[in-house]
Amino acid sequence: MKARPRPWRALVVVLTASELALGAAAAAAAPGQPSAGSGVRAARAVTAPAASTCNPKASSLAPSGPAQVTPGSFMAKIRARGYLIAGVDQNTYRFEYLNPSSGQIEGFDIDMINAVAKAIFGTSAGHVVYKEVSDTQRIPDVTSGAVDIVAHTMTITCERLKDIDFSSVYFDAHQRVLVLKNSTATSLDDLHGQKVCATNGSDSLGVIKKYKAIPVGVTYPTDCLVLLQQGDVAAISTDNSILAGLHEQDPQTKLIGPALTDEPYGLGISKQHPEFVRFVNAVLQQLRTDGQWAASYAHWVGTPVPSPPPAQYAG
Amino acid sequence: MTTSVGVLPGPVTTAPAVRQARWRSRLEEATTPARLRLLLALLILLSLAWGALAALTADQHASAAADVVAVSEPLSLDAEQIYTSLSDADATAASAFLAGGLEPAAARQRYQADITEAAIRIEAASALVGSSAARTELPGHLRNQASAAGSAVGDDLAMLSGQLPAYTDEVGTAQADNRLGYPLGAAYLREASGLLRGTLLPAASDIYTRESALLTSASAQATGLPLMAIAIVAGLGFGYLLYRSSRWLARHTHRVVNYGLLVAALAGLISLVWLAGAFVAGRGDLLHAQQQGSGPAQAYARAEVAALQMHADESLTLIDNSGDDTYQEDYAKQQKLLGPGPGTLLAATGSSQAASQAQAWYQAHRALRAKDDAGNHTAAVASAQAGDAAHTFAGLSATLSKGIESHQAVFASSARGGRDAFTGLAVGMIVASLVMVAGCVWGLSRRLAEYR
Repeated sequence: MKARPRPWRALVVVLTASELALGAAAAAAAPGQPSAGSGVRAARAVTAPAASTCNPKASSLAPSGPAQVTPGSFMAKIRARGYLIAGVDQNTYRFEYLNPSSGQIEGFDIDMINAVAKAIFGTSAGHVVYKEVSDTQRIPDVTSGAVDIVAHTMTITCERLKDIDFSSVYFDAHQRVLVLKNSTATSLDDLHGQKVCATNGSDSLGVIKKYKAIPVGVTYPTDCLVLLQQGDVAAISTDNSILAGLHEQDPQTKLIGPALTDEPYGLGISKQHPEFVRFVNAVLQQLRTDGQWAASYAHWVGTPVPSPPPAQYAG
Repeated sequence: MTTSVGVLPGPVTTAPAVRQARWRSRLEEATTPARLRLLLALLILLSLAWGALAALTADQHASAAADVVAVSEPLSLDAEQIYTSLSDADATAASAFLAGGLEPAAARQRYQADITEAAIRIEAASALVGSSAARTELPGHLRNQASAAGSAVGDDLAMLSGQLPAYTDEVGTAQADNRLGYPLGAAYLREASGLLRGTLLPAASDIYTRESALLTSASAQATGLPLMAIAIVAGLGFGYLLYRSSRWLARHTHRVVNYGLLVAALAGLISLVWLAGAFVAGRGDLLHAQQQGSGPAQAYARAEVAALQMHADESLTLIDNSGDDTYQEDYAKQQKLLGPGPGTLLAATGSSQAASQAQAWYQAHRALRAKDDAGNHTAAVASAQAGDAAHTFAGLSATLSKGIESHQAVFASSARGGRDAFTGLAVGMIVASLVMVAGCVWGLSRRLAEYR
């Protein structure tokens, strides 16, 4: 391990302190031996105590028929403006990343956005403006209207549902662990007291804390891989979708352990625009049924392609 | 230092009237040969004391001036070059990265030239700091400051030479990953830039601050007035004593001119004029070096560093596109510092060309940001790579670099002139004082011989 002064990195760790406190609360509330699913539910129960009836997977609004731009709706406003503003990341390989070769933002999440843009404009080409948002900036940007929609490997949680609406689930991820190939660890349980990396603003940090590893927060998932390669952390623990992209960038790594959590991904939309939520859900339903979802999955994530997450609605 | 000074003019110019009267009455009671012997001893002592004082004064000014030219100036120049090279490497690496998988050959060469220059300067500075011999001759307080700075600067340099390879490693990894089309490359570039800005640049800045302070102190020592004023007053006092002695001799020996004392007086006069003249010339050169050379060069260097950091920020914002706008915020912060406007770095350079070039760049940068914010990343990158933003920045950077170079040339030649003015001065003072001793001995011993 290289002992190198990194003042800016120390700052990053300090900034995560508040989240750690949150994680500690979750850990305190977690019952005994953490088994994958129940631990997470317990953690969520602490962060969103009021929402005991909340079901993240069935929290969205049902589409009112096929996707149509009705006059006076938010979609009509977007169409009049000429472009859809999407909040994305550029560093999540295979989900949303800036391809250095093409200079274009690409990935599974981007396919979802393009489908929405296509439903509004007839074609997505030239009708999407990507605004890069960090994990911590996602919800503020949606509520302030800085972006119309967020596609950002974003897990639907009851806590977040208090601030924004989500589309139906378009991808099922699970938190897992990535280590170097020569690591002897077989799960997060083996990493007690060791440094484990995740992004700030993700709920992965709390889970890491719960397993009594030392959480290290950074801005982007790729920053975690830098730390892992340089020997500054023992593992990375976050959504398997993100970890798969990291593994692809460094084949000298391996995924270990069971799925620690359920991370149903949704597209984030402001509570001001329920008609847009229904519209987006209609688009997603179309993707599920016409084979486009499977094609995107095969292209960005790989085969075998599972069946798409079923759409469940609250109302 | 002060004791030798205090002894000298005492009996001649500042003794209380009572003591002077007693001294005179004792002289008048003595026989003429005894008085002559006493006068001779006094003149020899005073000649030697004058020589010692003048030589010490000359040496202090000469060694401070030599330190300015040989150590402080090269070290602060090295530090400044390390800083600008590293900043330029940061900006160039980021800009080359933007080009995608294949970085432009010119950018690659520029980055490598920057790294080589930084490495050479680190080595040169380490060698200068290591050869502390040059600084052991400095006057006491300067020597203490120099040795304190020396050990801190040594630590900084060791850190720089240790961390520079780590930085280039990370940039190399960033490029390799970028070629593979992996976003991991951007993470390595951020890491490298963070290492450079968080660790390497502060160390270079620390060296620069310490060496500039030492340069200012050494310069102040070389151009300082107090010791020189004391020496010149002492010289004038001694000249007056010689004049009174020759008048006394003329009264008592009935000879108008004593050639020995005349020689001594001439030697004293020449040494005094030389000392004062060398000081005036050397001081003028050193002050010119500071006011027209190192001062403006520092102002240009600080402006260039701010501009380079902003250029790196511009590229990193395009690469990073972090929602938190860290790099763009830094750009805005540096822009406030750089100016133009009252109290800004550009105002300190006084270059109207740089000011208008900076405005042109800001305008191109705003257009670039507008494109990027509107989602036209490709057009924004094109502007940063080879468009308006690239050209306007290159213009500003060239003006600032030229400003640094030309003022450093002024500094180097003027400071050398200043140092050379003191060359041989100390030895000259000693020789002159020996000539004065010889003159006094010759002149008075001839008079003494008449009494045998």
